[in-house]
Amino acid sequence: MRNVCVIAGGQSVWGVRQASERDLFQEAGKAAFEDNPAISNKDIDGLIVGSAFTERCSFQTHLAPLVAESLGIKPVNVCCRVELLCATGSSGIILADAMIRSGKADVIMVIGGEKLYTPQRWEVFYSELGTGDHDFDGAQGLGLPPPAFAAIAKQHMKLYGTTEEQLAMVSVKNRRNGLNNKKGQFREEITLEQALNAKTIVRPLKIFDCCPVTDGAAAIILAAEEKAKYLTDKPLVYFRGSGQATVHNMSANIPSWTTWEALKIASQQAYKNARVTAKDINVAQTHDCFTISEIIEYEDLGFCEKGEGGYFIQEGKSDFGGQVPVNTDGGLLSCGHPFGGTGIRQGIEIMHQLRGDAVRQVEGARIGLTHNLSGLTAAHTVLIYGRDLE
Amino acid sequence: MSILEGKYAATMDMWPLEAKEFTRIYPFYDNLKEGRFTTTKCRDCGKQAFPPRVICPECLSENLEWIDLPTRGRVLVVTEEEVGVPFGFDTPLIHAIVDLGGQLTMFVHIVNCKMGQLKEGDEVKLVVFPIDPLPVDGKKGAIDLRERVFYAFEKV
Repeated sequence: MRNVCVIAGGQSVWGVRQASERDLFQEAGKAAFEDNPAISNKDIDGLIVGSAFTERCSFQTHLAPLVAESLGIKPVNVCCRVELLCATGSSGIILADAMIRSGKADVIMVIGGEKLYTPQRWEVFYSELGTGDHDFDGAQGLGLPPPAFAAIAKQHMKLYGTTEEQLAMVSVKNRRNGLNNKKGQFREEITLEQALNAKTIVRPLKIFDCCPVTDGAAAIILAAEEKAKYLTDKPLVYFRGSGQATVHNMSANIPSWTTWEALKIASQQAYKNARVTAKDINVAQTHDCFTISEIIEYEDLGFCEKGEGGYFIQEGKSDFGGQVPVNTDGGLLSCGHPFGGTGIRQGIEIMHQLRGDAVRQVEGARIGLTHNLSGLTAAHTVLIYGRDLE
Repeated sequence: MSILEGKYAATMDMWPLEAKEFTRIYPFYDNLKEGRFTTTKCRDCGKQAFPPRVICPECLSENLEWIDLPTRGRVLVVTEEEVGVPFGFDTPLIHAIVDLGGQLTMFVHIVNCKMGQLKEGDEVKLVVFPIDPLPVDGKKGAIDLRERVFYAFEKV
């Protein structure tokens, strides 16, 4: 088995874009090549494209060859699309790692994104009825996530005493972290008062507790270690291991709303594969689709004890200078969330953190983690990267 | 004008394809029309699954039977969506996690309810209502409209 490295990554500007799906993928691909001028489109022998809503919003299936043609890439080992809603990008990275590790490809671009703003804005909310269990949960008006995460927040507050202030602290931190991220959707700081007094979406969640709907794409390039040494003179960032798990889909089968079993399984699997523990993680990008999500993720990733997520943010343990800085580029709450792009954006931020050239740098970071949840907490995906192999 | 007649194309049916030609679990919808809330249970291993299946998710047997689930339940958590309600649903959109007699806990749509009316511990019951019929291609260009129903819950 070979070692796999991340050698380049870049993204389009994310937000409400006056651009099509194909425009966004071209911008992201170019940004990845610009991150490392030693790599060109001629070096790519595999292309994995991620998009969840390409058919829903752009009426385009068979997306990978379109992206290949747009970026002048002529893949010979793999050219396909993957989809796992919010974990689409991370799924592509897992598959790219497996192909390169096993010798089935040498240099793969994983590129993912979404064009979600359609001419009539009701359509994206309507489309989300198809993202859980369309026939059973979707037809109950579920799929658009706020009601489910509000129900989760209410139960977490009741069980563990988590407060609305602690939820708001997550959005204040992530907005602050996203302040200088030139590609992010929101680049303004907010105060705790603003967060607490903002418009209600579904009680107890207010507007700053929820990530936005976003147009955007991101691309990352992975290569076999030997190839990587030839293609980059930047510090090598290794893909160390991953876990991806699901234990339910429909709401009737959720084992616990406040302890995410699939996240515990996926993270333990990822730690085992990467030969690390939760204590070894220096920097993490977790799926802060809602503020309550990030709080539960601290717990189920093992950064703190169950029920102590609220105190973890309150005591600054997920901020710079704390135990493990989380969402250092602003997370979904600042950057936005074009489903297929998010896992890749997270991987790019970890690449920068481990190379030592991040916008907001965690000093001396050697091991980084990314996490996505997808659906009604149905699937969890955890990826671990490192500056070292052991 | 094209087939779109100036409307924006949204190619998704928000309801299930309930007709016999399109699903093997059509008895679920037939039973629903009679006010029954049903699912499948494995005759071999006894596993009761929801949503209904054509294969037992535990032992993979096809030897399944239809059984009735409770149509009344108890509210565990209430949510009231005030912003961003999906097309096809009214604002506020009220949901609840309900416990159906200890057999099933799920997140459901609550109808005939105003903000603040539903509380934890309240009893709710099944409501079945007609939804858009399914237009199925018939012979010689005719459109065959199939009646459909769906369910939600309301406060008792």
